[in-house]
Amino acid sequence: MSALGAAKPAAGGAMDPVSSVIGLVLAVIFIGAVFVIAPTAVMPLLGIILGGVLIGFGVHFVPVGGAPAAMGQAPGIATGVAMLAAGAGLAGLFGGAWAAELGVVVATVTGAIGGGLMMAITCLMVNVIYVFGMGIPAASGKVATDPLTGDSQVEYKSQGTEGHGLPFISFVGGVVGGLFGGAGGTLIYLMLLGVYEQFLPAIFNAKVEEIMPVAISLAGIFAIGMFLVNAVLAAYNITGTIEGPHDPKFKRFPRAIVASLVASALCGLVAILIVVVNLNI
Amino acid sequence: MTAQITVTEGGIPHNTLMIYGIIGSLVGIYLTYLNTVTGTQLFSFFGGLGAIAALVWGSDTIKRLCSYGIGTGVPSAGMLSFGSGVIAMLLATKFGIASPVLALVLGLLIGAILGYIANNILAMKIPVMIQSIAELAAVGALVMIGFTAMATGSFTFSPISAIPVTVLGASASAFSTSLIGGGLIAAIFMLGSIALQHGFNACLGPSEKQDRTLTLTAEVGFLSMLMIAIFSFAFLGMGAFIVSIIISVIGWYYTYSQYITLSKRDAAAWLDSKPIVEAEGH
Repeated sequence: MSALGAAKPAAGGAMDPVSSVIGLVLAVIFIGAVFVIAPTAVMPLLGIILGGVLIGFGVHFVPVGGAPAAMGQAPGIATGVAMLAAGAGLAGLFGGAWAAELGVVVATVTGAIGGGLMMAITCLMVNVIYVFGMGIPAASGKVATDPLTGDSQVEYKSQGTEGHGLPFISFVGGVVGGLFGGAGGTLIYLMLLGVYEQFLPAIFNAKVEEIMPVAISLAGIFAIGMFLVNAVLAAYNITGTIEGPHDPKFKRFPRAIVASLVASALCGLVAILIVVVNLNI
Repeated sequence: MTAQITVTEGGIPHNTLMIYGIIGSLVGIYLTYLNTVTGTQLFSFFGGLGAIAALVWGSDTIKRLCSYGIGTGVPSAGMLSFGSGVIAMLLATKFGIASPVLALVLGLLIGAILGYIANNILAMKIPVMIQSIAELAAVGALVMIGFTAMATGSFTFSPISAIPVTVLGASASAFSTSLIGGGLIAAIFMLGSIALQHGFNACLGPSEKQDRTLTLTAEVGFLSMLMIAIFSFAFLGMGAFIVSIIISVIGWYYTYSQYITLSKRDAAAWLDSKPIVEAEGH
């Protein structure tokens, strides 16, 4: 996080209907383009879009604290979304990729568990450091009582802060966000892997087993790229920091779903084009 | 609408720097084509120099975008840049000799759409948002293709995904030892994004100066280039490898000493710390 984080943009909570419709029309155009040039890749593209939406939605659950959290002045994990996404999401993606041979459902669930586990460990260690290292209790600044446990928060909140530490609801939010992110990243990877296994053998005139390193690497790097794009766009939606699902900023998620849908459709189109466009030059 | 919170004073105007960046990176990446013309591999290092030109441009773009206080930290801009850049770059490699230009165009196109999403659908309402994200995606694509050209000596899809080998007299392709098949593209991704985001992330603040920030970006860029030179040992001959290493080290040393000089210039006071001298008899 930067020192510039002090001045947040004044992004409002309302959706911009005109822009959203333009965005959705663009998404339909991208899907239509894939339908025209490679009909077999339409279902994978829809899977990619679903994965992107899961990532964009999942980020809203993760308690991103940023620089204020590092100073114990705001609740959440003391880093930015880009770092949390790279940590939790890629942990899930790697977990899911190991299980890719076991089918879409098993692999996606494995990816979700990988992401959720990573976030659970992160949240636990964050609280250990807050409580035993910095000597501050966990207290939310946005709600008076924890929505899940009913514990009162106000008495524990220091004056002049927006809360501190990682309350139970934020912890749960982090794990849920990790589940969504890991599942979404894995879904993108699996869908792209399927497309590349289908198209690459013809491009290189080789057997499927031979091109697997290229297919896996391409699907992996595209999944990482799309993961970061969706995570950063969701981070822009929450303007950097959020406490978890109880934060009023959480209600902005419909905007992020539209944004992730359009961005994933665009990135998925390009990722599919790479095997469809074959100019032999 | 949000207020701009740090005003850039002095330095080269952003648009001038952008033109230098585009020309410098395209010229650098295309100079690697001398490999094909002359039949050697010695000119691969130009790809890295082209990538550094793009990095310097991108660093100034990040400064321009993040001066509006996007709230997510400077590294997120670097991640978005390379996340969209790698997607543009990999499609661009399919277009043969036109790949670097296509990387620039596709990067600008994808970035402009992502910028529209961020600015309008997500209602960020930052005046330079669309242009900045378009530039950043183009920078990501150009840096990726430049470093790829430096590591492998070429920037088209087939050579970076399959390496021709001869097995028992028959020619075949080895996929797992290529740049993409071996996964080195992921390492290039991170090396590039670290170089792009570090300059402004480290130098931002009240006394930020453009030349110091950009020198730091170039310095980290040369460090990344040194790593790419080591990658190139897997794909290129010993001669090209040594030339790349020497160029990277010279470039790094020059920019590092420049950065120290500029830091001393901008610092309120400079106190050289000495190594702790062990007293005799202990």
